[in-house]
Amino acid sequence: MSATCEFQAKDYKSDLKPIWCPGCGDYSVVQGLYRALAAIGRPPHEVAFISGIGCSSRIPGYTTAYGFNTVHGRALPIAQGIKLANPDLLVLAAGGDGDGFSIGGGHIAHLIRRNIDITYIVMDNQIYGLTKGQLSPTSQKGRTTCTSPYGSLENPVNPLLYVLAYGAGFVAQASPTDLAGMAATIEEAIRYPGFAFVNVQSPCVTYGEEAQQIKGLKAISENLAAIGHNPADRLAAMDLAQHYGEKLHLGVFYKNPEPPPTYDALIRERQAQLSQGALPKERILDLFIKK
Amino acid sequence: MAARIDFAHLSLMDALDLAVLIEEEAKERYEEFAAQMDQHRTPEAAKFFRLMAVNEAKHGQELADRRSQLFGTAARTVTRAMIFDVEAPDFDEARAFMSPRQAMKAALASEVKAHAFFVAALPALKDAKVRALFEELRDEEVEHQDLVKAELAKLPPDSGLSDEDFVDEPTAQ
Repeated sequence: MSATCEFQAKDYKSDLKPIWCPGCGDYSVVQGLYRALAAIGRPPHEVAFISGIGCSSRIPGYTTAYGFNTVHGRALPIAQGIKLANPDLLVLAAGGDGDGFSIGGGHIAHLIRRNIDITYIVMDNQIYGLTKGQLSPTSQKGRTTCTSPYGSLENPVNPLLYVLAYGAGFVAQASPTDLAGMAATIEEAIRYPGFAFVNVQSPCVTYGEEAQQIKGLKAISENLAAIGHNPADRLAAMDLAQHYGEKLHLGVFYKNPEPPPTYDALIRERQAQLSQGALPKERILDLFIKK
Repeated sequence: MAARIDFAHLSLMDALDLAVLIEEEAKERYEEFAAQMDQHRTPEAAKFFRLMAVNEAKHGQELADRRSQLFGTAARTVTRAMIFDVEAPDFDEARAFMSPRQAMKAALASEVKAHAFFVAALPALKDAKVRALFEELRDEEVEHQDLVKAELAKLPPDSGLSDEDFVDEPTAQ
């Protein structure tokens, strides 16, 4: 692991030009990510960035890190495999609310219970933007879209409560309304030793509603540190998380003050235990050969 | 965590370096906006954003030259992490098919924002030379605003149409 070299945000920016709609919140997210990675200082070749499918899932291509734009909803299983195969990599996963909480919703619980050291950034825009504006799992009830022409009858998934309830050790929310805060939050998430989740309210300029654009988000945003929230208090975090969709709380909801060992660390420990007194690989065959 | 600017103890060299970084950030953002406009077939706005990028680069170079005359190659102690969107237009200012007028208004808003940054910093500054530099930069932002306003005035009046009037409504698949 190299640590002495100083990196700048531009070192993480690839030559590929984003094709998001101009004004899309994801431009800010990738910028915040460059800044966070520069602050962390791991060289791009030590970072693996895994995503699913959707507008936001294009993000690995815009970085110089190793990237894998996988299949819909499957960013997390692949990210877990990569982390377990090469624990020295800094593994990031990203995607949209549809990718993470609809088709890929079942994977989050297992990543959280295993506590693998991965940072998962969800760019939550409450709509399926890439496929032209269908209802997504975080769309508000009553929302009119091409797949809910008379208004949605479903309650939205609350991503913050979802991950808090499963026991995630680090849960935060950010938004392009506060770029410096977003970069700092992503950096803190990456530094957390274990699974970390950042929900970014990232407006869709093409299919998003007026209230979900930057001005609307600014009007309902509130900084968690400014209101005196203690990020070590999980129950207080769950209480605040209930306001998802009504208020935009920015910052760290919950950060386990005593992070438990990660799955990857436990595996290495188990491997070390089991390998004591074990035959070297090249002699395993001897066990099956009669002499 | 991103370092914050300690305005009270800012040296002239650091202040010049910060000013260069602010121009660099703005230049990069305008280049990004120009690329977005190219991508979305909005050539006039792209041309204007490119012009702004050139202006920011020119101003940045002037400040960098001044810095090297005064302080040579002394190592820089301030970083880009200390600034965020000081003179760079906000990401959400860009729109596909934006008119030259909308592009210029976005640039004007960023010049107003930069002016506000220098005005807000002034009371905290202790060093007289740094204060003089910030006052100069503040005044330059007003000049830049005037330049953009002059360009805006040259444009023909708005047609009164909005994007919604001529861009096809997105359709479901």
